Amino acid sequence: MNLISDILFWVFSVAAVVTGLLVFITDSMVRAAYWLMASFVAVGGILMILDAQFLGLILILMMAGEMTIMAIFMVMFMMNPAGLNPMTMVHQHRTSIVAGAGAFVALAAVGLLAEFPDRPVPPGVDPTVDLGVELLGESMLIFESAGVALLAVMIGAVALVSKRGRYGIAEEGSEEPSLEMSEE
Amino acid sequence: MNPLVAVVLIGVVMVVSVYLVAVIDTAVETRVSGGRGYARAWLAPISRAARLALQRRTVTERPDAEAWVLGPALLGGLAAVALTSIPFAPGVDVADIPAGIVLFGAALLQVMVAVVLHGWGANSVFPLLGAFRMAAVGLSMGIPFSLVLITTAIPAESLSVGAIIASQEGVWNVLRQPIGLPVYLITALGFSFWGPLQLPDGADLAGGTSAEISGTALLVWRIARASILVSLAAMGAAAFLGGYLGPWLPGWLWMIVKTMGLAALMIWSGHRIARARMESVVLLGWTVLLPVALVDVFVSGALTL
Amino acid sequence: MSLEALLVVSAALFGVGVYGALSQQSFVMIMMGLELMLNGAILAVVAFWWGSTGGNPEGQLLAVVVLAVMAIEAAIGFALVANVYRVRKADISEKLRRLRH
Repeated sequence: MNLISDILFWVFSVAAVVTGLLVFITDSMVRAAYWLMASFVAVGGILMILDAQFLGLILILMMAGEMTIMAIFMVMFMMNPAGLNPMTMVHQHRTSIVAGAGAFVALAAVGLLAEFPDRPVPPGVDPTVDLGVELLGESMLIFESAGVALLAVMIGAVALVSKRGRYGIAEEGSEEPSLEMSEE
Repeated sequence: MNPLVAVVLIGVVMVVSVYLVAVIDTAVETRVSGGRGYARAWLAPISRAARLALQRRTVTERPDAEAWVLGPALLGGLAAVALTSIPFAPGVDVADIPAGIVLFGAALLQVMVAVVLHGWGANSVFPLLGAFRMAAVGLSMGIPFSLVLITTAIPAESLSVGAIIASQEGVWNVLRQPIGLPVYLITALGFSFWGPLQLPDGADLAGGTSAEISGTALLVWRIARASILVSLAAMGAAAFLGGYLGPWLPGWLWMIVKTMGLAALMIWSGHRIARARMESVVLLGWTVLLPVALVDVFVSGALTL
Repeated sequence: MSLEALLVVSAALFGVGVYGALSQQSFVMIMMGLELMLNGAILAVVAFWWGSTGGNPEGQLLAVVVLAVMAIEAAIGFALVANVYRVRKADISEKLRRLRH
């Protein structure tokens, strides 16, 4: 059993990192969005191996909708919606590679070199029950704050994207934005 | 459960139930169109499948081939994953894990991904429109779907499907939470894109995401879609109708009867109710089903207290 | 499987996310980089909960907060992308030159 979960852990880990890289390598925007989702699913799998079953599944559940929206936004807002043509759109590429590698090395060094207390989850604990009690018990205020923040964000997002102004449709009579590139 | 036994069990369940769905579909079609001779309902699905298996496959210009193939395979795989969380009889389950109902919900919400990939892969207009429709239907149906499903866990005080069935020993959830089952069935139609909500690959889009496929690809796509319908019906039976609980008959038979009853209801709706329009579906999801599902959560929570 | 291995994997996810967020021009691709960084963060949080806190549920609570942050980032990000496209017809960061000094 331990061997199986070890193998699964390494499979999911490699899958998470490789699919994460593929997001920025692939030429198709729908593929990019769903590679990212594959990365999330792999991390969800790791969370399930770590006994955080509920969190892993919720992560997978959330990402299905979010990545679908992302794929559609990619198709809507990219200048080249055909999607299977080369699509490398990068700037400050070398700096970014150095920054990414630097972040990885620094964080991995912290993970490998720092001393963390070795206190695993004791057997017999049901993490889902624990989480539920915590969310609606001692930490209810934090949970509620997250809920209120989400509500505020929802209102803000609707205000940002809504076309309807105070006196009806805001863009009445105006033109839709064209797909042509505007002059720099 | 032994992994090999589990694979065989899920495989057998899927094959038998998909065949039954096809038979019911043909029988209902015969009944509704005033025809006679139900005997052909048993053979018609097989001949249809054979015809599709022999048909020539069409291809489009520069498809996203991997995504196109992955769509149907993922859809069928998700149906299998969803079925693993459901106990078919006392003790007969593949993975009745503590968060089983969340596993089911996660698998079903990924249906969106499978359908969008399938529509995107064809590199053609109608399939892409079908993919957009699936995203719209899935996003407006997803929250009420998850809410009514998770509400059934409140009386059970557990997210495991086995515990949810066990909690319905005295009274089924369909009586305890009368709002739950109708909302669940409507959203289930959306996620299996069946009947009045057959929008992503409906006839009004010339087949939508399946407009550009034929032959074995179409056969696999239809089988996967039917197995999603079956897994939704099975969860409906387990979460609202007491699953394998029931007098006289053995548990597994009750489970089959209830699952196929719900599946037949959804199939029947496809032959009797006109296809809904996109606007009304999105409006229904956000302005009717979502508040109603919230009422369901609050009322059953209050009753459990 | 150990805490160290988990932290290295989460560092790798974070590093890839940093690379993506800094290098991409398209707004949506930048958001993908941010999401990938949060993905690494969630893995690290749950890893610490699993290996280092003795099953204290507050570790899981932190992961829920990260999930909420992810949802907030996505909602505001998509709204800004839609708005900036509508107002400035911009879909890549180079087009927003007004933000330059």
